[in-house]
Formats: sequence, C-alpha cells, structure tokens
Amino acid sequence: MNILLKHIEYPESTELKGYCESGGYKALSKALDMKPSDIVDEVRRSGLRGRGGAGFPAGMKWTIASMDPKKPKYLICNADEGEPGTFKDKPILEKNPHLLIEGMAISAYAIGAEYGYIYLRGEYPEAKEILEKAIIDSYAAGYLGDNILGKGFKFHLFVYFGAGAYICGEETAMIESLQGKRGQPRIKPPFPVNEGFLAKPTVINNVETFANIPYLVEVGAYAYMKIGTPESPGPKLFSVSGSVNKPGVYELPMGTTLREIIYEHCGGIKDGKKLKAVIPGGVSTPIMTADTLDCPMDFVNLPKYGSMLGSGGLIVFDETADLRKVCLRITEFFEHESCGKCTPCREGVGWLSSILKRMCSGEGKPEDVELLLEISKNILGKCFCALGDGAAIVVQGFVNNFRPEMEGRAGAQA
Amino acid sequence: MNLVELTINGKTVKAAKGATILQAALKNGIYIPNLCYDRRLSPYGGCRMCVVEVEGQKGLSAACSTQIREGMVVFTETPVVAKSRKAVLELLLLHHPLDCPVCDKAGECKLQDMAYKYGSTSNRFSASRKDEPERLDSPVVERNPNRCILCGLCVRICQDHQGVGAINFIGRGFKTKISPAFEETLDCEFCGQCIDVCPVGALGSKTYRFMSRVWYMNEEEMICPYCGCGCTTNLSVRQGKIIRGRGKEGVGINDGDLCGKGRYGFDYIYAENRLKTPMIRKEGNLVRASWDEALKYVAERMGSIIEKHGPASVGAIGSQRCSIEDNFMLQKFMREAVGTDNIDSAARFGYAKAHKAMEKSFGSDFMPIGWEAPLNAKFLLVIESDITSAMPVWGLNFILARNNGAHLAVADSKETKLVRNSSQWIRLVPGTGVALLNGMMKVIIDEGLYDKEKAQGIQNFSALESSLKDYTPAAVSAITGVSEDEIRNLAREYSSAKSRLVAMTSGASENIKSLNTMLAGANLVMLLGDSPDTLQIPAEFSNTLGMWSAGVRPAEQGKEMQEMLYAKDASLKALYIMGENPIVTFHDVAAVENTLKGMELLVVQDIFLTDTAKMADVVLPACSWAEKDGTFMSAAGAVQKIRKIVKETGEAIPDWEIFVRLSKAMGKDLGLNSVAEISAQVSEKLSTLGKNDLKLSFNPAAYELIENSSSEFPMLLVTANILQHSGALSSLSRNLDSVVSDAYLELSPADAEKYKIINESYVKVISKRGEILLKAIISNEVPEKTVFVPIHFAHAKVNTLTYPAVNGGIPLVPVRIEPA
Ligand SMILES: Cc1cc2nc3c(=O)[nH]c(=O)nc-3n(C[C@H](O)[C@H](O)[C@H](O)COP(=O)(O)O)c2cc1C
Ligand code: SF4
Ligand code: SF4
Ligand code: SF4
Ligand code: FES
Repeated sequence: MNILLKHIEYPESTELKGYCESGGYKALSKALDMKPSDIVDEVRRSGLRGRGGAGFPAGMKWTIASMDPKKPKYLICNADEGEPGTFKDKPILEKNPHLLIEGMAISAYAIGAEYGYIYLRGEYPEAKEILEKAIIDSYAAGYLGDNILGKGFKFHLFVYFGAGAYICGEETAMIESLQGKRGQPRIKPPFPVNEGFLAKPTVINNVETFANIPYLVEVGAYAYMKIGTPESPGPKLFSVSGSVNKPGVYELPMGTTLREIIYEHCGGIKDGKKLKAVIPGGVSTPIMTADTLDCPMDFVNLPKYGSMLGSGGLIVFDETADLRKVCLRITEFFEHESCGKCTPCREGVGWLSSILKRMCSGEGKPEDVELLLEISKNILGKCFCALGDGAAIVVQGFVNNFRPEMEGRAGAQA
Repeated sequence: MNLVELTINGKTVKAAKGATILQAALKNGIYIPNLCYDRRLSPYGGCRMCVVEVEGQKGLSAACSTQIREGMVVFTETPVVAKSRKAVLELLLLHHPLDCPVCDKAGECKLQDMAYKYGSTSNRFSASRKDEPERLDSPVVERNPNRCILCGLCVRICQDHQGVGAINFIGRGFKTKISPAFEETLDCEFCGQCIDVCPVGALGSKTYRFMSRVWYMNEEEMICPYCGCGCTTNLSVRQGKIIRGRGKEGVGINDGDLCGKGRYGFDYIYAENRLKTPMIRKEGNLVRASWDEALKYVAERMGSIIEKHGPASVGAIGSQRCSIEDNFMLQKFMREAVGTDNIDSAARFGYAKAHKAMEKSFGSDFMPIGWEAPLNAKFLLVIESDITSAMPVWGLNFILARNNGAHLAVADSKETKLVRNSSQWIRLVPGTGVALLNGMMKVIIDEGLYDKEKAQGIQNFSALESSLKDYTPAAVSAITGVSEDEIRNLAREYSSAKSRLVAMTSGASENIKSLNTMLAGANLVMLLGDSPDTLQIPAEFSNTLGMWSAGVRPAEQGKEMQEMLYAKDASLKALYIMGENPIVTFHDVAAVENTLKGMELLVVQDIFLTDTAKMADVVLPACSWAEKDGTFMSAAGAVQKIRKIVKETGEAIPDWEIFVRLSKAMGKDLGLNSVAEISAQVSEKLSTLGKNDLKLSFNPAAYELIENSSSEFPMLLVTANILQHSGALSSLSRNLDSVVSDAYLELSPADAEKYKIINESYVKVISKRGEILLKAIISNEVPEKTVFVPIHFAHAKVNTLTYPAVNGGIPLVPVRIEPA
C-alpha cells in the first residue's frame, strides 16, 4: 500500500521538484478542470471518512459547507496531532508537505474557499519550517495564489502554529484559537460547516483526510473504494508504538487486522514477550485485551470489540506492563489537558487521576475501583466535548478489561 | 415570530424558534437549575447542571445549549436527571472551601441552594481544597478564587455584554482561574456587573464585605439617583441603612443591568457634610436655627425684597436631581407666591440645547429617547459622545446593536469606551462634529442621496443647501482632520443604510458640542426623510426631563440662567437655589461667585453643605432621594417612583414640603399639601406633553469655536465625563470615590514631550480666566493639542477655566500647560 506515503520514497520528497516528479499536482490540475460540485459528489460517493478520529464522512461536510450561501468560506487543516500514541500525520507534514497542500487546494476549490489555514501542533517546529517553505514554493509555482495554474482559482494558505494545548485539536476550540481566543470548544450547533471561523462556513479536516484527496480525484471514487472495506474505504496510516520490534507509521488498507499490523508489519512483540494489551487509536480509545487480535482495524469493527479506530495510533503493551500506571499516566494527560470549561471533565478527571495516583502508590482503598467506575459514569455523556468523555471511557476500559490488575491483586498479572 | 410547540414535563408549551430548552422552560415558568446561563449572554454549556431528558435522545441534554424542536418531549426532573445533577454538584464541591459561614453570598448562593435541593453527598474523597489568596486589592470588587465554580459568567458579562474584557480564564483544567491579565490587580471600570452575575461568593462587593447576612436585610426597588437612564437599583437596607445595591433580572427598564453608580453610588447620602438643621447667617457665620425661625427669616427677607425691587428681582434655580414634585413646587412657589418667572437650572447649558434643537427642527416640545431605539437601527452614528459613560446602561444597547450586526460609527477625538466597541472610529478634531455632519450632508445632497421628495418639502431646504456650500469634503477634512474619502464613504454608507440613528449626549459640562451640533444632527435626519425619533439626545440626569417638564424654565419673559448669573448688570437681588451647586458645577466660577456675593438674599436648599451653601444667608436641609416619596422622569420619558426607604437625616424635610411651609410663612397657600396632591396636578401638566403636531424645518448650523486657540493658549481643553461619576454628586459617594477620587488631566505623549511633562506629575493649566493645578496622565487615548479634564471634582475647580454657552458656538477652552 503506497498512496499517502508514496512520495516519501523519492529523494527530496519535501521539495516541490521531487513531489512533481513523482506525479504530484496532477490531481489539482485535473480538479480545476472539473466542476466544484462534481468533486464534492465524487468525495461523497467515495465514502471517505475523516481520519482525525471521529470518522465523519468528508463528502457530507463538504456538501453542507458548499451549499451554505454565506461567504467567504474557510478551509482548515487539523494538524494539531496531540494525542499520545498518534504520530501518523507527522510523516506527511514533514516529508510530504505538497501532498497536503495539493489536497487542501483541491478541497478549497470544491467547497469554494479562498483562504485556508494549517493549524499545526506547537511541538512540530520542523514541520512548520518545511510547510512554510513548501507553501512559498507552491505560490511561486502557481499552485497557490490568486490565479492558480492560470485557471482563475484563488486560494491562499497559511500556517498557524499552536501553543501546545491538546484541546485545540477539537475543531471548535481550534477555531476559537485561530480567532485569537482561549482554546475552548464551542456549542454545536451551529456546526463549523455553517458557522465556523469568523462565523463563516468552514470545513475542517485532518491532515490525512486531505492527503487522500489527490489520489481520490485522480482515480475516481469507484477505484478508490476498492481499497479498504465498504464502510471504511481507503488507505489508512497507523502509527504504532510500544512493545513491538518495528514501531513506526504504516500505510495499510482500512480493515487490516490487529494481528497483521503487530505481527507482520511490526515484527511482533519485542524480546519475544507476550502481548498483553493494545490501545488501538490513540489514548482516548479504550484498551483491548490480547484476545482481540482478529479485530479488523476500521470504523465499524473496533466498536464491536469495545473500542474505536480513533486516529489509528496503536500502543502495544507486553506482559510486563503495569497497566495501573499506564491508566494513571493517560488520565493525568487528560487532567492536564482538560480545558476547564465543563464541570465533569475539569473536576471529575482530576478526581480520577487522584484516585489512580493513590492506588499506584499503594495507598488505595478497596472501594477505589468501584469509585473509578462511578465517577467515570458521572463524567461520561455529560461533558461538553469528547475530551472528558474520552477520559471516562478509557478508565472504564482499563477497569472492565483488567479488573484484577486494576484492583492490585497480586498474581493477577500472570 | 415563529413559534415551536413542545412538551415539558407533560405540559404543552410554546416558544420562539431558535430558543433553547432552558429558555423555553424559563419563559413558561418551569425552572431548570443552571449555573452558567444568563439571559443576556449566548449559551455556554459549561456547568452541566441544566441537563434534562429528551425523549428519543440517548443520554442527557444540556438544556441551555440544546435548541427546541417541534414536538420535542422534555423531562426536567427525572431520577436520572437528579442523579446527574447531584453528581455535578459533588464535583463542584470537591475543591470548594465550603466556607459558607463567612461568605457574604450565603443565603443567596445558587450553589448552596442547589446542594440543598439535590441533597448532600457524603464526602467520598478528601481532595485538597483550593487555596488561592483572596484578592482585596482593587476598589469595590473583591475576589475569592477558591469559591469560584468557573461558570465563566463574569468573563462573558464583562467582555460580551459590558464591552470591557477586564478578566478571563487563565490556566487549564482544574487549575483554571478567573483573573485579570497576568494576575495583576483588577483595574477596570468597576461596574460590578460581574458581581451580580456570579452565582457563588467568588466575586463580591468589597463595600458590602461582612456587612450583613442576607436574611437580615430588606431589599427595596429604587430608581437610581444618577443619570437619565432611570435604572432600577435594588437597595438592601439593614437597620435603617442602605448597605448594598444590585441589579435584578426582570426589574426595571435596565432588566438587571447597572453601572457602578447605580450599584455603589447610593452612599452619597451618608456623606459627612449632610445638612441636619436649617442655618441662618449671623454675624458672618452660618448658625443652627429651627425650621420656624429659618422659614420666617426667609419669608421676611424675601417679602421685603419683593416690596422694594419687585418680584422680578427674585430668581430660582431648580434641580435635575430633585423629584418632579420638588421641582414643580419650586416653580409654583416662585410663580404664585413670589410672582417671578426667573426660573431656570443647570440644564440651560445642557439639555436645553437639545430641547431647543428639537423644537426648532421638529416643532416638538417633548422628545424622550427610545430605550430600544439603538436596537432598531442598522447604522448608528454617534457624534462626539461617550454614551457608554454618560448613559451607561442605555449605552449597552449600542454595544448590543453592534454585536447583533449593526454598524456603529463613532465620531470622537478620544478613544472612549464606545469607540473601543464601535465598528468604525472617525477620529476627528474635538468640537468638529458639526462640521462632519455638514460635510456628510453636502456629499449627500451633491450625490443626490437624500430623500428629495420629503426634504425639499421641508421649510428652509434651500437655506440648508446654500449653508452647506462651504462644507466640501476638502474643507471639512481640513477642519475635522478626517480624510475626504472617509467623509464621502460615511455619507454614502449612512444614507444607504436600511435604518439609521444619530445619537449624542447633552451634558451641561460638555464643551465639544453645542446647539449647532444638535441642529446639524436634526438636519441630517430630515434630509434623509427619517423620522425625528432617529435623532436621540438623552436628558442628562435622573430627573432632568422631569424637572424640565415640571416647568423649571422661564415660561414668559423670565430670565434664563446666563442672564441670572453671568449678566454684567446684576439686576437680581435674591436667589433661591434648590439642590444645585453652581460654585462647583457651573462654568466660569469667578463670574458665578461674583453674582452670588452680590445677592441681598441667597437661600440654598440642599442635602449637603455645598460650597454654594457656604455662601448662603439661609441654608435649608432637604431629604435625599431615599428619604422621601416622589417621582423621577427618565430620559426615555418614564415617570417612576422613588420612595422613602430610610429615615430622614436630622431635621431634613422633603424639598416640596419646604415650599409648602415657606409659602404658608409668606401668607400664601399653594393649595397642595402632599405628594399625592402634587402628583395629581403634575400628571395633568405632563399629560399635555408631546401632543402637539410636528412641524419640520431645517436650521443651517455652522461650525464655529467661541474662543480660538492662540499662541498664548495653544491647546484646547475638553471637559469630560467619566464613567464612574455623574455631575458632582457622585464624588460624595465614598464607594465611587474609591475608584476615582481625583481630577486629572489627560494629554498625548507628544504634548507631554513638547511641554516637558512627566506622567503623574502636577501641571499648571492656564486659561484667560484663571489657572488650576492638575495631575497629568499621559495617554494614547487623546489626540495632540488637546487636554481632557473630568469635571466632577469640586476641589479641582476646573470651572475656573471654562465658560458657559447656550447657543451654537462650541465652547472649547484655549489653555496653556506648564509643569507645576
Ligand atoms: C479533544 C479532541 C482532540 C482532537 N484532536 C485532534 C487532532 O489532533 N487532530 C485531528 O485531526 N482531529 C482531532 N480531533 C477531532 C476534530 O475535532 C475533528 O473531528 C477533525 O479535525 C475533523 O477532521 P476529519 O473529519 O478529517 O477527521 C480532536 C477531537 C477532540 C475532541
Ligand atoms: S470535556 Fe469540558 S472541560 Fe473537558 S476539554 Fe471538553 S469542554 Fe473542556
Ligand atoms: S467590574 Fe465590570 S468591568 Fe470590572 S471586571 Fe467586573 S464586569 Fe468587568
Ligand atoms: S468568579 Fe463567579 S461568575 Fe466568575 S467564573 Fe467564578 S463562579 Fe463564575
Ligand atoms: S446552564 Fe447549561 S451547562 Fe450551565
């Protein structure tokens, strides 16, 4: 599978020259000869689902935004990639920036946006330089600007550097932040597609989502859908970390099983140890036990196994992992990143992590695990955004799947 | 309006399309607990207390942020809901200090009430309590971050509604807190809106700190004594003393909004110089006297002056702060017992100009403002007026209009609060608003953008047209400093807007506008064929319009203020002043002092021993606004009751009653002996107002300065109103004085450089009338060649420099400044 990472193998893949030589910007040229609405239709037909975590159908978003009469429209690329375990956008940003730019230019043309922003994670300074250079080169070559490829299409693209808040990856908080405000999510509706950046129709997609667009436009929806599964078509980037022999970013069709990813592509568990657990899609997806290896990694099958595809950031744990500590570490992440807007997340997640802390330091009480479950229940479904809910389902996942260990019962680990 | 029908708790209700479940419920009398919702703000959805069950909806929905749908079925108090609320409360109380026993909010704290309702939870976790220091370092607002539940209401009311943005969240997660930038000392306009909106005791009135438990107080609805907005302030009285003011949803035209004056300014009635007994000057000193003695003395002296010089030698000054009844009795006494028509007030230099402009332009004798008028216009043009400081709560409607999408253009030389909240700042040279208006009209006529049919049918159209010939964009640009393009565009955009409004204030102490500015505003309105009520000029103080309407102004041949006080030939022998302090509030104090000294009889009836009272032959103590019954008429024309809610001070009696007694002492009975009787007669008089047919007429209005700057006096002094004060009255409020208590002079950095003036040092300000000392504040808000001076502080004697004006010229004051 080599679509999203194709160009990376060419020397100087970050350079415009290298990108073009390996077939880059052909799709843009093709797209500009199409009717914008035809592109939107094609994306909708393809069934492409957003790669940022929620899996919302991209074509649907584009359709709504392009039909909204308000002007101007904006396009935002979510490059905030801040969730522990997730680093799948990074190779695109750092090694294949023109793929993103091309994808965004096509999307902008399709929905009628004249301005676009790449909201880039503050901890990716290399990516910033690379993207900025790529943008300058694209302007010079006529892939961005007031009259792109001489076809009368105008699109300007800017990089906005985040300040290190995970919540700004949430699309409405991202818009607030872009507008110079405190990064806190907004009430939906109105959705960004109708009232987003500066209250104008705004499409926000993940880096990888945009990266799918040039290929999709090039081959058409029908050919695109041959990759992956019917409900989750297309290629997917999986970032794998933890106890595997070959951690890294892998491009595989949607629906590839966990087993194949871990044992074929990543070379199995480190030091020949036994697999204990996997977090399949970044730390906001519930942890899975070792007996779920046959689960196909896609939007539909993971929920059947009690988890979610999320961003596709796998974290693999072997038999020596102390899952209580892992749970604490993850919960602390959410506590630290909670924006503070809503009560359940702000207060509840901090409470969860305090309890986990005392459990890990041996000062736990017998009823603590029940308390964790109850607090999680009080958080789940009551938060303003998915961050707090994420923290709650993650704790629930640990307790439900590894209860004896969470209760600290000796020998439970074996 | 599009109505949606839904069911809440089995009851079918209707609400406007687009409303949220919470709004629909509250509107229909169904309470849903909420901690981060406010009717004035857009929904936030943070606290999660307002969750409800919606049929067909998985999980719970936040009522404040879920829009209603046709046929929606909502349950607000199911066991699931109650459990969830209880859980939220548990979380909110996790780090809360639970110091209710020493919290001033206890008893009216929403968190406390809700915890009581949904039941306590046994403390399942001993989290460390928040331990932030209390912040008592700013005036009037105290902050206790430990009690904060981070509902964000204070942040949003301050930013989105009040147009200030002094505080925000800092930090993240449960380390989030509310703070001014960089945790510095709060330094804002101190409106106190954030305090009212705080559901818990995290923000409080410092002036009320540890003053009372709420259950020991009675709360009384009162009309605010300060500006023409006529807001209702809710005053808490404990043991006969007012100790707190606050706004309350649904109460008054202000619907809960208040500025700092309405919230904190009530304590002027406890100023040390309150008069407690009548006083008569004996051997040069004012000494205590009984009422009988004092009234007899006034009656006799007045009688003999009338006898000797005739009734026309007596004059009277009424009060914009006294009630309609008080003012009505003053003029009745003067007209019927004394027989003089020399009755006027400080409004001569203020609202009278607005009145005159409306009378000449529209033929109208009564033009109150429309409270909602700003909300009905798509383009609002404000001429040299900081409405947000002169009429703070009405001013919020300008900000709201802008937030709702209207275009708010503010022509001002200074960066005022309104400017900061505007869509367009037309920065002009002070006093040139009239030229700007003329310039706009010139463009409008030249480009044919006016309502030809209507305008040409109005009297004097050709006179207007020819009067504008010199106001070409080039000429106006030279006068105002505004570019020709901006003038043209303003004219085009204003004239093409769907609906329009011109607004300006009419303060007696302001010197950047004049009658001509107001006439020019009226001309613009008529030129575009707009209705007269698209010119909005509010009457200044709490009862300016009431006083004016009660007849405190010459009706026939009587002398107006400038003849009474500033004429060279001192024909007045006796002057009766009620509730006014010309020595402090009138321009050109030397002239005023001179006239007052020349009086054979000076009677001052007031609540304080003012600087004017100190010159009087007789001083009569009157009740303050909270110590008597009566009515005020707001700038919007609403006649509203004030009530006796605390005991009178010393032997003070209401102003109206003084006239009842005094007339009797003079052997005349005015026939009215109670507020009710007076009110009945006043209403009769008021009911005729605004009934006449309008008659439109253009009045060419030129731009001219009365005095020009010169090489000797190269700068122009602008007298300014500041938000925290109102006339000179508010400076007697200790609460308000704790915010701003000293006069100062603002000047631009360039001028500071030029005249070698250091920030916060004293400067000498010299006009041809005299000189004063003021502290200099260097500010980017003011333009060059100009100094701004607030007028509220008696000790600053700014009126040493200024001069009165009642007509068309702009009374800016040429001055020179020097380091002191
Ligand atoms: C707390 C939180 C963090 C998120 N962080 C990211 C992120 O780093 N990158 C991303 O693409 N989407 C992130 N999302 C998802 C976005 O809100 C949004 O769904 C996504 O950008 C939409 O793009 P897509 O449809 O292309 O996936 C986050 C969501 C939440 C609730
Ligand atoms: S769940 Fe609430 S506090 Fe947490 S990040 Fe979202 S809005 Fe902020
Ligand atoms: S007192 Fe008024 S201006 Fe100051 S912080 Fe509170 S709301 Fe803002
Ligand atoms: S200070 Fe009061 S109003 Fe402001 S966030 Fe805290 S609880 Fe809410
Ligand atoms: S009132 Fe609805 S969440 Fe606070």
